[in-house]
Amino acid sequence: MTNWYIRGRYVLFRIIVIAAVVLVSAKLWDLQIVSSQSYQTEANANRFRLVQIDAPRGVIYDSAGRLLVRNVPSFSVMVTPGALPEDTEQREQVLQKLGDYLGIPVHETALDSIIYSSSSEGAEPLAINSQRTKTIDDIMNTQYNGEWTAVRIASNVPRDIAFIIEETQTQMPGVSVVAEPIREYLEGELMSHILGYEGRIPADELEAYQAQTELKYQPDDLVGLTGIEATQESVLRGTAGQKHIEVDAYEHEVAVLAEDEPVPGANVRLTIDVELQRAVEDILRDGMKRANSDVGVAVLLDPNTGKLLSSVSLPSFDNNKFSGGISYDEYYQLSSDPNHPMIDHAISGQYPPGSTFKVIPAAAALQEGIITLGTTVNCQGTIKVPNKYFPDDPTLAQTFYCWQTWGHGNVNVTEALQGSCDIFFYTVGGGTNDFEGLGIDRLDEYMKMFGFGSPTGIELTGESKGLVPTPKWKVQNYGESWALGDTYNASIGQGFDLVTPLQLVNATAAIANGGTLYQPQVVEEITDADGHVIQAFQPKVIRELAIDKDILAYVRAAMRDTVANGTARYAQIPGIEVAGKTGSAEYAVWDANGDLVRDEFGHLPTHAWFIAFAPYENPEVAVVVFLEGGGTGAEMAAPVVANILRYYFGLPTVDLSDPTRQIID
Amino acid sequence: MSTTRTYHKVSIWRRYDFVLLILVVILVGLGIVMIYSAYEYSIPKEGRTWWDNLVNRQIIFAIIGFILFFGVSIIDYRHILSLSYILYIGVILILLVTSVLGHTSFGAQSWLRIQNLTLQPSELAKVLVILVTANVLGVEDDKFEKLTPLLLSAILVLPPVALIYLQPDFGTAMILFASWIVMVFLAGVRWRHLAIIAGIAGVGAPILWFRLNPYQRKRVTSFLYPSQADAGDSYNIRQALISIGSGGWWGKGLLKGTQSQLYFLRVRHTDFIFSVWAEEMGFIGAIVLIGLLALLIWRIIRVAMTARDAKGRLIAIGIAAMIFIQTFINIGMNLNLLPVTGLPLPLISYGGSSLVATLLALGLVENVAMHSKPLEADLF
Repeated sequence: MTNWYIRGRYVLFRIIVIAAVVLVSAKLWDLQIVSSQSYQTEANANRFRLVQIDAPRGVIYDSAGRLLVRNVPSFSVMVTPGALPEDTEQREQVLQKLGDYLGIPVHETALDSIIYSSSSEGAEPLAINSQRTKTIDDIMNTQYNGEWTAVRIASNVPRDIAFIIEETQTQMPGVSVVAEPIREYLEGELMSHILGYEGRIPADELEAYQAQTELKYQPDDLVGLTGIEATQESVLRGTAGQKHIEVDAYEHEVAVLAEDEPVPGANVRLTIDVELQRAVEDILRDGMKRANSDVGVAVLLDPNTGKLLSSVSLPSFDNNKFSGGISYDEYYQLSSDPNHPMIDHAISGQYPPGSTFKVIPAAAALQEGIITLGTTVNCQGTIKVPNKYFPDDPTLAQTFYCWQTWGHGNVNVTEALQGSCDIFFYTVGGGTNDFEGLGIDRLDEYMKMFGFGSPTGIELTGESKGLVPTPKWKVQNYGESWALGDTYNASIGQGFDLVTPLQLVNATAAIANGGTLYQPQVVEEITDADGHVIQAFQPKVIRELAIDKDILAYVRAAMRDTVANGTARYAQIPGIEVAGKTGSAEYAVWDANGDLVRDEFGHLPTHAWFIAFAPYENPEVAVVVFLEGGGTGAEMAAPVVANILRYYFGLPTVDLSDPTRQIID
Repeated sequence: MSTTRTYHKVSIWRRYDFVLLILVVILVGLGIVMIYSAYEYSIPKEGRTWWDNLVNRQIIFAIIGFILFFGVSIIDYRHILSLSYILYIGVILILLVTSVLGHTSFGAQSWLRIQNLTLQPSELAKVLVILVTANVLGVEDDKFEKLTPLLLSAILVLPPVALIYLQPDFGTAMILFASWIVMVFLAGVRWRHLAIIAGIAGVGAPILWFRLNPYQRKRVTSFLYPSQADAGDSYNIRQALISIGSGGWWGKGLLKGTQSQLYFLRVRHTDFIFSVWAEEMGFIGAIVLIGLLALLIWRIIRVAMTARDAKGRLIAIGIAAMIFIQTFINIGMNLNLLPVTGLPLPLISYGGSSLVATLLALGLVENVAMHSKPLEADLF
């Protein structure tokens, strides 16, 4: 090549090559030598993680040490949007494969949209949504929280499917399987109201949870939401540990560098005996069938300590459905059931107590000196309350009836309780022209003393406080002033009075034990993972009743007489002296025409109640049974209590469903 | 007759560029080692067939490539050039078929699938276009007072460039066009003619810019304005810089690169294989690799300068330009000096079509070397 003109251009080419080498080397020097330290830091930040190790949650035992709940692994399938293949076709393949494994459609199909649009005329918007199956698209769109935050596509994935997905993970970039312990409740419906259930921290409560810094809550954590799971959350949770791990780009753990072990949560032993609970549930269910009642409650307390021995509310629900997340359909079904199976009616239900309540005005009137044991009231079946504005016009007076329309004649307090005489308690509670009654203020004072109108404070969630009606309350809520008739109704547990079954049995227990109102408790003891007792049972006294011991003894004697000779003879059981009080609480329901529902005699429907304690001397157990709309307490609730006490005292139980069976031995 | 033939044979192998051969063997070998490192732990071993293993595939491609490398070097390049128009028409047809029937991958219809094998005809097209261009431009130097050869070569180079560009494979089209420019320049085209080409390119560039796919435009804008970057691209550029930077002086060791082995770095075995090397072998290793590649290019330029005639010179220079530009664009992309274009690193990156075509091209360089003028060589 002799042409120097061209040769110059070759030299230029070589100079460009040298320049390129110099430029690239300079950049390499800058990256690998000058700034290497900061890139090494970044590379370490990529792969090292300090992650929390959740502590194993404590378990729960019954009073005899039987396991009620344990932790089982559950698998969730997650998708990290940023880790999915960039190529649209490959991305689609991965999602389609995942959808096939999980049985979830990836996209909305034409068929879905037809169902969706045709049902959109329905009045129930929630039901429409449940018609359309959630697609992976839906989940990814609604849960999207950035390219590199994993989205939970499915929880509670069956073990075999989770394993298949885990194994084929390399063919499905962006998909990962997370194992997480969830609760398995061994008794299901039997204990669900007591134990409650777990769920993810509700978004609006996250701050409150995280304020308890020592418990180290993370946004997606499972926490107890109801029942013992919720009230003992801080005990069961344990202390999270942490570990330094190395991860790959898909956040899979590759190696553990250092580990700080978690401290497992403490275990809780309950005061409830699950076998007693099971027997009580069976008996209550039979009793409800017999009384044709849809909702029933039975609560047993130890009157000497306040220990909850058993508490059944029917219908119930299976709290296992909540473990790892309940489906929308199942939740909708449970929450729209008119009998509210998710609600523990023993502590949340508020009902008029009816005649069971009469023990309160009886004790109050004796204590206040309104009556003595010898004071009698003549019951002719009715009593008239004069009109407030025309007190002298008997035609305008309002008539109050005794349930026994022909009257009880002259009755003293014992006979009035035994026969459940309404006229006696109208008179003693509200007074008449020639008899000074307790009056609503003093009646309220005693109701509150017995614990009505405020929650008992048991370690469960959703407890109602009931209602102790006051004149002020009536003005505020009805715009009307308090009338004598309101006091009359309040004196027999009707009108505005509302109690929870637990409040009523707790008041019964206070009468039974001679005047101590205990706070009902359901936690027997708390032990750490090694079995050492951290917290032992301590009875908690709400208050000592300001009622003389002998007065409470008279009331107990009257309750014993009620079972022995009075309205509650169906509560008798062989060999054990039972004391109790019936109640048939009227309540108002309206039919489709807006008319009050009444039976053929014009009576309102009644809830059947029975309160009892046994043995009469040295009581061991106090019981309440409530049957919603069940009829009379004497006929329907008392036999249920009797059967429960038979079981409790080791006697053979009676078949309540057999109508020919004599229920009194 | 027989003595001449014997002499001829000896002289051919005497001029064979063994330095070039050794450089090529070392680079292909390093490439296979790097693919092993980038790939070996990415895919679970169980259930993977021998052919699934990209390392095995690359070894097979290398063997095919070396057969062609030696095969093509034996036949005198002037015989090959006489066939170049037929080959050229063949390549244009293949490119047309690819555009119609091609298999779309990563947004570009640049793959031809024959049963289980996917071929990238544009890789072969690059080599053949260089041959055709060399044949047209390789006339006596003083004839470049005329525009005819220049225009003819332009007419020949535009159809394949356009077809590859429309696939769309912006990177390969650009390499081809740039290699042609270098060849035109080194063929001795007058400055005023170069100015005309520059003028046409200046008018055409904006039109082509707006013909680019949005994702390709985005790659350029994201390079210029990183805040607008596509999440996937900017993620990988970031990871590439972390990989290279964290390598330090000596690197983390083969198979021990945390960025590569834990999948933080994507497309490790193809476009970003340089980052894997720089992470695991450090600054020293990276400089050695760059040095080897630079030496290879230097050596090809040397072959060009010793070539017997203008055609041979232009074949070598076209291939030098092709390898140089592609190497610079790939490493520049790894170092964030240039935008992401998705071009492999010649001889190193995984990819059968690219490796085989590059070895074929280097075989042609050897061919030019074997038929070179011995005396001139000493001057350079």
